[in-house]
Amino acid sequence: MRNNVIATIAQFAQKDSSVFVVCGDAGFGVLDDFKKKHPKRFLNMGVAEQNMISFSAGLALSGFKVFVYNIVPFVLYRCYEQVRNDICYQELPVTLIGIGSGVTYAPQGMTHYSVEDIALARTLPNLTVFSPSDPVEARACAAYACKSRKPVYIRLAKSGEPFIHPRAASLDVTRPITVRKGKKVAVLYHGSVGAEVMEAVKGLKASPLVLSLPRVQPIDFSFLSKSLAGVHTIVTVEEHFVDGGLGTSVADWLALGRRPQRLIKLGIAPEFIHGIKNSAGMRRHYGLGSSQIRTVLKRAFENAS
Amino acid sequence: MIRSPKELRVLARQARQSIIEMACRSGSAHVGSCLSCVDLLVAVYFGALKIERNDWQDRDIFVLSKGHAAMALYAVLALKGLLPKRLLQGYFLNDGTLPAHLDRSPSYGIEVSAGSLGHGFNMALGAAYGYKLKNDRRKVFALIGDGESEEGSVWEGALFASKLGLDNVTVLMDRNDLQGYGRPTEICYFEPIVDKWKAFGWRVDRVDGHDFKQVLAAIRKPHAGRPKMIIADTRKGKGVSFMEDQMKWHYFVVTDEVRLQAMRELCGVDHEK
Repeated sequence: MRNNVIATIAQFAQKDSSVFVVCGDAGFGVLDDFKKKHPKRFLNMGVAEQNMISFSAGLALSGFKVFVYNIVPFVLYRCYEQVRNDICYQELPVTLIGIGSGVTYAPQGMTHYSVEDIALARTLPNLTVFSPSDPVEARACAAYACKSRKPVYIRLAKSGEPFIHPRAASLDVTRPITVRKGKKVAVLYHGSVGAEVMEAVKGLKASPLVLSLPRVQPIDFSFLSKSLAGVHTIVTVEEHFVDGGLGTSVADWLALGRRPQRLIKLGIAPEFIHGIKNSAGMRRHYGLGSSQIRTVLKRAFENAS
Repeated sequence: MIRSPKELRVLARQARQSIIEMACRSGSAHVGSCLSCVDLLVAVYFGALKIERNDWQDRDIFVLSKGHAAMALYAVLALKGLLPKRLLQGYFLNDGTLPAHLDRSPSYGIEVSAGSLGHGFNMALGAAYGYKLKNDRRKVFALIGDGESEEGSVWEGALFASKLGLDNVTVLMDRNDLQGYGRPTEICYFEPIVDKWKAFGWRVDRVDGHDFKQVLAAIRKPHAGRPKMIIADTRKGKGVSFMEDQMKWHYFVVTDEVRLQAMRELCGVDHEK
């Protein structure tokens, strides 16, 4: 996904001379082309994340459209207050591109996981938050960010994610996207764990409605409401702490609207992760493997009928 | 228009009166922090910054990174005619006009929102780099506190600015040697502060921050290829004798009685030398 995002930005940069890419000593092999083509519009701000973010806000103040590339902890955690005060509060056109969503980097260790970034990002007014599930969505999110004059955060896994949508599809990533039609049970997901969802629904007799929500803030709930007509049970799936992300947004919406649907939230248990597993193993450990999602969906159909 | 040091002193005294009035009306803190840096703001706004209405589009940029000295900036912006004077009346009041820390959204010449320390400085560096890239000749000025320079982010920025050749940046440090709960020189290994900034590749000057001649001479000194840091030695609470170099005036409220005492001093003879 990251290559598609950078390629989209690079393409846009050829037309728009205000595009500027900042990294924090990351992006080897990913940003090389951009750096070569636009050496004056690329800056490695080193291992200094607070300065990287405030400096980027300053660049935006002087008229540049800035994209900041780093792993998630270094665009959002280390420098949360800089993102809050300098980018979001001041409504500057800076896009944060965070790599390593969820447990993508397992078993690098807890410091390198991003299992609470959506929760943090949701606290920030003015920030549009994207979590694309495949390269096609990632491209569309990057295209949105290129045109936006507001703060944007794009949460990505890394590279090599399978395609969920047709490669040439033109998607509206501001709305929930119907990936598979179905009845009674709906699966709502964001991010690269969508591949597990797609694998899970393959083996089911009854097809659930599958919706991808690449934009997790703000969510177009009126559109979602229409999509969910006739659904008894909603299952949210995210590679993120089970609380604070999409599942929580949907729970709030259901509760405040006194909606009758039952909600099942799948996500990572709220704990510091000490286990040594690769990303697939970690997903299974937290119930996010395709067969585990399939089991949940089967039960949801039984309960719904 | 070039102003004489005498004229600048008159302006600074007017700004100090505004600060005392604002602090008293609102019951807000940081009067000492404002009085220490207000001479620097007057020097920058009336002696260095290109910021008249007729050149607004390519104006120089000033960033008050120590955003808790907002009253000083408001007072100087009002004197400069960029912020309507009547807004000073509603500073820090319920349903008022101006917050105690900077919010750029209504503009009035406030370039950067600030309040948390160690942010504005780095934004100023980013803006300066942007202008350089665009061959925009405008200059960027920032004012930081000495307490503020305990922030790691300040030193992160310091480390990069010189490498980036930001010779369109001038930073002034309000070196009043009093922060919220102590003196920087007691709290940390603050000095030798000139050597530190020099070691980071900056052109550094040290001046008496209440001497307009010295401050303006330092600002006007060329600094090709490097960013400039002016360490301005100041006194917290400067201009009101009983507030000078007193830590309590970081937080104490200006009562009516205090206001009268202070105004008596500020409305009398030229406070400066």
